[in-house]
Order: sequence, then structure tokens, then C-alpha cells
Amino acid sequence: MELAGRIYDVVTREDNVTDEIREVVPTMANSREHSYWRSVVRLAALCHDTGHLPFSHAAEEALLPKGWDHERMTWEIIHSDVLGAVWKTMVPKPDPDHVGMLALGPRKIEKLRLDFAFSPWEGILAEIIVGDVFGADRIDYLLRDSLHSGVAYGRFDHNRLIDTLRVIPQPPREVGESVDSPGGEPALGCKRGGLESAEALLLARYFMFAQVYFHPTRLIYDAHLKDFLQAWLPEGKFRIGVQDHLGISDNEVLAAMASACNDPGAPGHDHAKRILTRKHFRVAQTRRPGDPAGAMRAMAEAAGKEFGEGNVRYGASPRRPEPPDFPVLDRDGRSVSSLSLSEVMARLPASRDEYVFVAPEIRKDARGWMNSRRDEIIKAANEGERD
Amino acid sequence: MNRLAQEAVLAGLTRRLDKNGSWSGETHIQKVAYVLRELADVPFQFNFILYKHGPFSFELRDELSSMRADGFLERQPQLPYGPRILVTERGRNLEERFRRTMSTYGRKLDWVAERLAQKNVLELERLATALWVTRQHPRSRVDRRARTLSVIKPHVSREEALSSVHEIDALIREAESIS
Repeated sequence: MELAGRIYDVVTREDNVTDEIREVVPTMANSREHSYWRSVVRLAALCHDTGHLPFSHAAEEALLPKGWDHERMTWEIIHSDVLGAVWKTMVPKPDPDHVGMLALGPRKIEKLRLDFAFSPWEGILAEIIVGDVFGADRIDYLLRDSLHSGVAYGRFDHNRLIDTLRVIPQPPREVGESVDSPGGEPALGCKRGGLESAEALLLARYFMFAQVYFHPTRLIYDAHLKDFLQAWLPEGKFRIGVQDHLGISDNEVLAAMASACNDPGAPGHDHAKRILTRKHFRVAQTRRPGDPAGAMRAMAEAAGKEFGEGNVRYGASPRRPEPPDFPVLDRDGRSVSSLSLSEVMARLPASRDEYVFVAPEIRKDARGWMNSRRDEIIKAANEGERD
Repeated sequence: MNRLAQEAVLAGLTRRLDKNGSWSGETHIQKVAYVLRELADVPFQFNFILYKHGPFSFELRDELSSMRADGFLERQPQLPYGPRILVTERGRNLEERFRRTMSTYGRKLDWVAERLAQKNVLELERLATALWVTRQHPRSRVDRRARTLSVIKPHVSREEALSSVHEIDALIREAESIS
């Protein structure tokens, strides 16, 4: 909330708004509109993560009823009586649809098939919260998770970055568009002096994804946690009522897990024990450069048939998004694509890490079996996909 | 259409855009894919939302990113302009593997590439947005839809908006003969 407010203040400051973008960006000169949107941006940032289940993203697809995810839960909370009572007391009163649109951003609004269109201004405001590079959510979670997990990867000069953020006209995208005044809509970007800080953020994200968020050990803990929750929760799912959702947190789950670990008859006992005594599944195979799509899944299926499905798991990081292409206000006043100025961004890899995990008791045998049949299994899987 | 078949169609579309003279950047592919889905009934699984530069699909963006990671597409920098997206040898092999799918949709891909590949990115944005407005207000007159387009995209002039709405109406009529 604090970071989102700071970004909003920087990009709408009168001396940071050029004539080219003035019709899109309300400044202090239009104080009512300005203060309304400032309030909505801060509220949206505050509400952004309210729909998360205990332990955040872990396996929510399997733990919520069909058609539900944490974004939909966030949308429901923002539109609930719980927050409705808060909105009512505010001046200016925020429109919950505006708060929801900015809190979720266009990607999630699209995913939820909600029928809302983003104006150029609303698009920029959503970028302040959920944008791929400058989103306050991203800046906040990298710094926070870096601090709490005790790694240095997530740190970067966010103060410098925020100070250089601007709403900037679209850079030219193809031959024929004027380099000095290209057409198209303005977007959130940074001054040339902030480019290295933006690079540092993207590198921080890259390293945090590899070393923390999608480290193989963390991936397999997600799988064990999902197994435990499915066994422990009534009918294997979280409840979707707003009050039910707000009434359960990491603490309740941790207490139940400790109890199940000590009671061999409790639902989820085996999974709780794997988590709390560190008997988690181990990596037996990793995707190699050049492996076709689907290779690790095929390996996991084959190993499951050989060693029993309960002893084998497939795990993958999500695809890392392509390096974002945002406008940079160069020192000569032109708007330039970040990818044309930054070799670091253009070369960030987009590959996906995939693993086959097996129970520690069979790791040695399973690894040997998979190594000896690797080429054969992958070849068969690759040839099978055609019409 | 399963995921790989859909990727084969996207590779086919990207290759045709390039062959017909398009810059073939992400925005070009986004707008043409939207037109293809709406007018030629190609059953892409993406949803589109009115966002940057008109109808835009994050799901399509993710798919293009995934195709790049799997080596079906490559991004070619074109300083100082935006990058072009081109089909690799592996991408062409994917089209070969999905020959039946490609023969089902090939004529539609040819049609849309012939009509739209020569358009620049701003023309494509206006045209795709005109189609989005037309889908939202199917019974509205041309001038009303043009006004709506100018309101939601303030950098589009009334004249440009009118021209784009006329053009999309003509394209809709033409598309009925190929769908």
C-alpha cells in the first residue's frame, strides 16, 4: 500500500507529467479525480492478496471448488459486506469494481472472464500494483521474502527505481513509426537513470524464482502440503464463504499438521510426517536443455507405473515470463524500448524447470531405472504428439 | 483443439504474417489472432480483454512465451524498434506434425494474413478495437461505434475511428463467406 501510494505520487506529480500524456493522467490540477484514484490505488494494493489461502499459492487449484481461485476470492472479499461496511465510511467512497479491477489487474480479470475493459489510465494504475516490472506487489514481495528467507538475491535499489518511474509514450514498434513521436498509448516506464535498478529487480526476481520460490525442495513441499490438506480438510477442499476464508490461516494448518504428525491414525498423518520430519520426496530427474516439452511428465508417468504412483511426483516451476518490454525515457527525451537499451533484460532466459521426484526410500533404484530408460521414454513421448 | 495443435496454428499464423510482409511483433500477432478468432471461427482457447492498444490476451502472451521457451518461436531484436517474432525450424516441424489441423485452418490463416499482414501496428490496433466495439454494440450505427472507439482510445481521431469501423464492417461481411 505504501509503495503503491509512492509510485502513484511520483508519476502524477505535476512536473513529471508531460504534454504528450496529460490527457491520460490526472494531476493535482484535477484534485478530486486525483485524490479518488490515489485512494483506490492504495486500497487495491492493500486488498491484492486478501484472497490467498493459507500458505499462499500452494496447490489452490486442488484445494478450492472448481472455478474458484484466490483471485476470485479476492474479488468476492472486495465486494463483500465485510469490506462494504468499510467502503461506506470513506470519502470519497471507492467503487468496489474499481478497487477489484486494480487489485487483480487485467490478466486476472481476463482469467476470471469478468466483463470489464481497462481505459489507458486504469491500465497504468493496474500496472502500479500488479505490473510485471514496476508493480508494487512485486517490489514488496521480493524485498520481504528476501528478508525473511535470509537470502540476498531479492534486494535491489527500489527507492531509486520508484523515483525514476514515469508515464511515458509508447516507443516505436516497427519501421514507419516515428522515433521522436510514435503513436499508441502511454505506459508505465522509467527514466534512463532508473534502468539499472529495473534490471536489478528483474535479476532479483530471476534468482528468487530459481533459489526460493521454485527451488525443487520447495516445490515438493507444496505437493506434500497439498496431500496433507486434501486429507485433513472436510471433503478435501477449503470453504469459499468469505467468513470461512478469513477464519483460517497458516497457524490453524500448522497446528493441525503437528497434531496429525503425532497421531498415526489421523487423516494426513503420512504427509504431515514427511513435512515435519523432513522425509520429503527427492529429485530423481531434471529437465535438460534440449528436452522436448512434456519430457519430464512422460518420465514421471513411466516411473509411476514401475514404482507405484504414490512414490513418484512430477513438479515444475511455472514458465518464467518473457523479459518485459517497457518504455524508457532516454536522456534525449525519446521513448525507447527497454529491450533495445538493456542486454541484460533481452537475455534473461525463459526456460522452465521440471523435475521428477521420488520417495527417498526408492531414490537410488528409481534414479538408475530412469537414467537407463531416459532416451527411450522421451523419444516415445515426443513422437506420440501429433494429429 | 489441444494445446500443441493450437501452438501449431499460431506458428502457421506467425509464418504467414512474416511471409506476407508483416513486422510480426507481439502486438501484430495479438490483434490478428483476435480477428481470426472472432471472424474466422478459429477456436483459440484465449480470452481477450480490452486493455493495451485494444483487445489483448494475456493467455496468448503466455502461449507465445511458452512457444519461445520450447524453441518453436524466436524473438529477433530490431533496434530501435520492437522485436519481431519468427518461426524456427522446430516450429515448422510442429506444423508438419499437426498436418490435419493445419489443413483445417490453413485457408483461414491465409485469408487473414493476406488481409492484415500489410497493416501497420496502429492500423491493426484501431481495426481490432473497432471489432471489439462492434461485438459489444452489434446494432449500433457506424458513427456511434466510431465515437465509442474514440472515447475508449483517446489517441484515435474521429476520422480514423470512422474509417476503421467501416473497414471492419467490410471484413465481417467478407469473413462470412469463408467461415
